[in-house]
Amino acid sequence: MSTGATNDVPLTRKDFISDQTVRWCPGCGDYAILAQMQRALPEIGVPKERTVFISGIGCSSRFPYYMNTYGIHSIHGRAPTLATGLAIANPDLSIWVITGDGDGLSIGGNHLLHAIRRNVNLKIILFNNRIYGLTKGQYSPTSRTGAVTKSSPMGVMEQPLNPIAVAMAAEATFVARSIDSHPQHLAATLKQASDHLGTAFVEIYQNCVIFNPTEWTELSDRKNRDDSILYLEHGKHMIFGKNQDKGIRLNGFTPEVVSLDDVDLDDILVHDATSKPLASILGSMEFPDYPAAMGVIRDVRKPDYAAELISQVRTAQEERGVGDLNQLYLAADLWTVHTRKEVECASARERRDGEAAISVRRLDASSQASVMPITGLDEEYIDDLDKPEEKISDFQDLLVTDTVSALEPNIPITMSEHSSLARTIRQMNRHNIGCVLVTDEEDRLVGIFTEWDALMRVVGVVDDLAQQTVADYMTPEPLALKADLPIAQALNLMSVHGFRHLPLVDDNNHPIGIISFRDVVGYLNDVLEKE
Amino acid sequence: MSLQTELKSERVSHLAVSGFSRVSVGTSIRNTLAQMQADGQVVCLVTDDKQVGPPSETAQLVGIFTERDVMRKVIDVPGMLDKPVDEVMTPHPITVGPDASAADALRLMDENHFRNLPIVDTSGRLLGNMTHQAIIQYLADRYPVEVLNRPSDPERFPHKAEGG
Repeated sequence: MSTGATNDVPLTRKDFISDQTVRWCPGCGDYAILAQMQRALPEIGVPKERTVFISGIGCSSRFPYYMNTYGIHSIHGRAPTLATGLAIANPDLSIWVITGDGDGLSIGGNHLLHAIRRNVNLKIILFNNRIYGLTKGQYSPTSRTGAVTKSSPMGVMEQPLNPIAVAMAAEATFVARSIDSHPQHLAATLKQASDHLGTAFVEIYQNCVIFNPTEWTELSDRKNRDDSILYLEHGKHMIFGKNQDKGIRLNGFTPEVVSLDDVDLDDILVHDATSKPLASILGSMEFPDYPAAMGVIRDVRKPDYAAELISQVRTAQEERGVGDLNQLYLAADLWTVHTRKEVECASARERRDGEAAISVRRLDASSQASVMPITGLDEEYIDDLDKPEEKISDFQDLLVTDTVSALEPNIPITMSEHSSLARTIRQMNRHNIGCVLVTDEEDRLVGIFTEWDALMRVVGVVDDLAQQTVADYMTPEPLALKADLPIAQALNLMSVHGFRHLPLVDDNNHPIGIISFRDVVGYLNDVLEKE
Repeated sequence: MSLQTELKSERVSHLAVSGFSRVSVGTSIRNTLAQMQADGQVVCLVTDDKQVGPPSETAQLVGIFTERDVMRKVIDVPGMLDKPVDEVMTPHPITVGPDASAADALRLMDENHFRNLPIVDTSGRLLGNMTHQAIIQYLADRYPVEVLNRPSDPERFPHKAEGG
C-alpha cells in the first residue's frame, strides 16, 4: 500500500513549508500549530504526495495554503464531508481536516458529528479559540456563558459546547486535547492522532491574539501551567501540579482534586484510554474547577468506514455484477422542467388538449428585497486595529496618518524611453540626482533608471553610451505610489524591497514626484524635532 | 519621542548596516567596478594593504568610492577604466566607531550630506557602512504592525482588515 518513503531521502520540516505568505495576525496561535504540524509530519513519515489537508472557512482554515502538501480550502463547515469522500475514493491517503470552533461546531456541526460517528479515517484538528476571528469577534459555540464579545455586548446567554463531549457523543474512537503554547505536547499529540486508524479528533486550545487574547492565559502561562493541566498517559496515575503533588480521585461519579498528602496513591485514578465512561468524565472536567485534561483521552479500535464500505461494494459486485450508473439514472421516473415559453405553449395546448404541464415561476426583479449596507462592525474593528494596545511612540500615529505627499516630493526628472544612455547620464549629472523616471510617448511611467543600474549594468560593460537607449537598461514597470498613501507604505516598500527611490504617480500613471530614503528619514527627523 | 531620542539609545552597530566592497589602493577602476558588480555593492572602501583577497588586520581605510563617483567621474569619461581607483575615490572619509549612537551618526550624515558613513573600530577594522537604509530598516522592525504587516503592492492594499 505505501510506496516510497523508506527508500527516499527523509523529509524535513522545510519540505512541508509552502511558498505562500502566511496571513494570520502576528501573535496568533495558528502560527504555533502550523510550525508543530510541519515539525511532526516528517517524523510521521507519510510522503507528501499521500498527505492532504482539507479545511472549511475561518482563520484556521487557511492552513492548507501553508502546507506544501495536497490541500483543499473547502466550503464552510463541509471539510469533514469532502474529506469523507476523499477517504473513500482513495483510502491510501493520510487526510487531515483543519477546522475551528465556529466552522466545526456551528456551521458544520452536523457534518463533524457524522464523520466522527462513521469512523472515517481522518485526523480532525479543531482549533478552539472560543471566538469567531475571521468575521471579527462574534461569540462562537464554545464561548463561555457570560463572555462579552462583539455580538454579545451584555454577555453570552447560551451554554457552550464542549468539543470533547461532542466527539464522545458521536462515538469518537480517538479523542485528544492539546494547546498551542506547549509545542512538544502538541507535536506528540499530533503524532498519536496520525497513528490512529479511524477518526482521530484533536481539540487544540488556540489563542486569538486580537479578539480573545486572554481565554487560555492560565493554561499557557509557562509559570503556572503545570498546576492547571493534567497530562494524561495511558496506564499512569492522574497526577499533576508543578510539584506533582495533586491527583484526581473519583467520589461516586464525580471526579475531585485531592492532595497526595491526604490520600493513598491507590485511590488516585489510573488513566485508561479504552474506557468510555472515564473518557466522558475527563472530557467533562472544565478548567478552572478542574485541571484541563491534555493528551489522549480516548483511543479504541473500531472498523474503518472506507474499508467497510469498499468491502460491501465488493460483495455486492460479486453477487450481482458491476452496476451501470447510466442505467440507474434512466431506471426511475423522469420528468422535464419547461421554460415559461414552453409552459405558455403547453398551457395553450392544455386548454386545447387537456394535457398537463409543469409551470416554473420566474422571480420578478421588483420582488428582490433592497440590501441594506452593513458597515458598523468593520468600522469598529478598524478602529480597534488603529489603536495599538500600547503606543510606543508618536511614530505609530505619524506613520499611518501622514501621507507621502507630506514628504514634499521632488519634481522628478523624466526621460523618454528612446533617450540614449549618454543623454540620460548627462541629465542625471546636470541635476545631481541619483535616478530618473522613464516615460512613454504619453508621459506614462514605464521605468526607472538609477545609479545602481548605471553601476551594475552599464559602466565597464557598455562601450558607446550614445548608441544604447535607456529603455534597455532601466528597471521596467517600477512599483509606484499614489500621493495619498501613508508614509508607512513607502517605508514598507523601502524596507521589504530595498528600493532607494520611489516614484509617485497620479491616477493616469503620470509621474508627479519622487521620494528617496533620505526624504523619508529627513522628514521624520524634522517633524518630530519640531514637536 | 522623536527620531533622535529613539536613535540615541541605539548604537550604529545595532542597526542593520550595509555591506561594502573592498579593494586595495592602486587597484584599477575596471577591477574595482568588477568587484562591486560581483558583490552587488554600491560602495567600495579602499584600504592601504597591497595584497589581493581579504584585508590584513592592519589594513587602514584610505578612501571611499561610491556609485556617485561612478556617475560623475567615470561612466562617461573616456579612458578612466585603467586608471587606479585612488584618482577618483574620496580620500580619508569620515568614519564612526561601532559604539557611536545612531542618532549622532545620522546627524553627522545629514550635516555633511553624506550618503555613506563607514564604521571602523579603534584598531581600524572595517565593520560596515551606515546608510539611510539602515534607519528605514530599523523603523520597519520597530513598528512591524504599521510597516511590515501591509501588502507590498500598494495597488492591492486591502481597505478592510482581514484576520485569516
